[in-house]
Amino acid sequence: MRRFKFKRETLLAYSFLSPVLLFYLIFLMIPVVFSVLISFTDWGGFDFASMKWVGLKNYRTIFSSQSSFLNPIMTNTFVFAFGGVAISFIAALIISYLISRMRYEGLWRTLFFMPAVTTVVAIGNVWYYMYNPTNGLINGIITSLGFRSINFLDDPNHALLSITAVSGWMGIGSAVLLLSAGLKGIPNDYYEAAELEGAGHLRQYTKITFPLLKPTILFVLITSFIGGLQSFTLTMVMAKSGGPGNSTNVGALEMYNQAFSFGNWGVASAMAIILFFVIFIITMAQLLIFRKGGVESY
Amino acid sequence: MKSNRAPWYFYVIIIIGSVMMVFPFLDMIFSSFKSASEYALLKYRLLPEHFIFSNYRMAIEELQLLLLFKNSLIRSVSITLVVLITSSLAGYVLAKLRFPGKQVIFSFILSTMMFPAFLFFIPNYFITVHFPLVGGNDILGQGGEGGLAASMLGLIVPFSVSGFGIFLMRQFMISIEDAYLEAARIDGAKELRIFAQIVVPMTAPALATLAIFEFINSWNEFIWALLMNSVNSNLATLPVGIQMLKSAIDPTLTQPLVMAGLVIATIPILLLFIFLQKYYVRGMMNTGLK
Repeated sequence: MRRFKFKRETLLAYSFLSPVLLFYLIFLMIPVVFSVLISFTDWGGFDFASMKWVGLKNYRTIFSSQSSFLNPIMTNTFVFAFGGVAISFIAALIISYLISRMRYEGLWRTLFFMPAVTTVVAIGNVWYYMYNPTNGLINGIITSLGFRSINFLDDPNHALLSITAVSGWMGIGSAVLLLSAGLKGIPNDYYEAAELEGAGHLRQYTKITFPLLKPTILFVLITSFIGGLQSFTLTMVMAKSGGPGNSTNVGALEMYNQAFSFGNWGVASAMAIILFFVIFIITMAQLLIFRKGGVESY
Repeated sequence: MKSNRAPWYFYVIIIIGSVMMVFPFLDMIFSSFKSASEYALLKYRLLPEHFIFSNYRMAIEELQLLLLFKNSLIRSVSITLVVLITSSLAGYVLAKLRFPGKQVIFSFILSTMMFPAFLFFIPNYFITVHFPLVGGNDILGQGGEGGLAASMLGLIVPFSVSGFGIFLMRQFMISIEDAYLEAARIDGAKELRIFAQIVVPMTAPALATLAIFEFINSWNEFIWALLMNSVNSNLATLPVGIQMLKSAIDPTLTQPLVMAGLVIATIPILLLFIFLQKYYVRGMMNTGLK
């Protein structure tokens, strides 16, 4: 009787799970194996007969000294990820604290969050036009202050930072949201006591807010850095294939173009796997730092 | 009580910051009403001289905006519905049933969230296009007109399960008292009925969160839709159609149309977010990332 019921429950569980398990088999497990396999071949993605096993050749090409993958592309990737996180995190740290002390907190949070629910195609294009050297908003401000207009996206010296700035701008809202949640967990009594003692805002922040917010801060930093390392839609919308030259090209975009513009599926898959390991190692390193810093919950 | 604490300069900083957030959206909206001659000006102006609506009319014709809108809508609604079903089924099983392999499957689903999307573009593109027995493909996935990508399925099926969705539903369902389920079982109710009539109604708030989260994300998704569009140009969604137009012709001519298209693509979703943000924000808090 008991045994029968147990079996029935197992059968039920697996029949409810079957669509999910089938999905993961087809769109996750087979693809991972397939990717690794493709990365050892020379293949344009047509039929399997044209697939040629080349061993480690694709990896050697990527790491060879003529390859642009490590420099400038991976360097750009880190600049883009790090710069974007720095902008959005510092802004969000200030904003979340200020609005937590203000009226209409929800309204402010919504305004900062708007880019996060907007398609990157819209954000990239609107900023593309705002960066326009002749009639864009930003150069309008710069020239009205008496400076010379800047060729933000066509000058290889400025293009990467210009796109990184937009990525930072986009990311503020999500970071504010998470930090706000962290701030809500800090009891108000602490601030009241500090105020009675005569501590100013800056002192309250460094002595109460920052230490208690540390777990949230680390979480925001990790997740947005990982997000930045894999992101390439904004670059694609604003700079097509990462131009001028390779000055704005990032790892995932190069992978995409190798596969779908040039038909080098082997090289592209090898790039995807390298990038995956880079991200994996960074995630593990950050998790380790978490633990060392006494944050167990993530 | 809260307001006493904030000195005036807090408001100054936040208002300046808010203007910087909102301004690109205002610029987009106002630009969509400008005439072509205003785009040719050598100086920046926020407001159009006269508000004209012809950009919208042209965008609807040239961009096939209505088709793009329809594709985006069908895609987002379908993904949302399918994800709600797969997530609540799997979430229920992982929260409330006992069976061998449960821990392994749960850990596996959690780990799927660690895989970055770019890893899957290449293999999943191949699998989608060569999916057996759909879109005219034979059992080996050959010979057809694009497999899943021959129809809207190509935009929907690869998004039909969400690790985050399963996790969210499981966390919510764990808090449902077993007593309710036991009582129904004693009354002789079938498991599927218990699931549909007791469990699902009790998880309405979590379902709302997941629905709005999935809807907005699939509405905005760009890269996969772009790939599917390269196989079958009938599948263009709003972001894809607008981006294709932008790269196709002379940028000074297309800018007014792009702006009008972007307004149509973004403003409804922004309003949806503003009205339902309580649910969306809950989804954000649960993943910690988008």
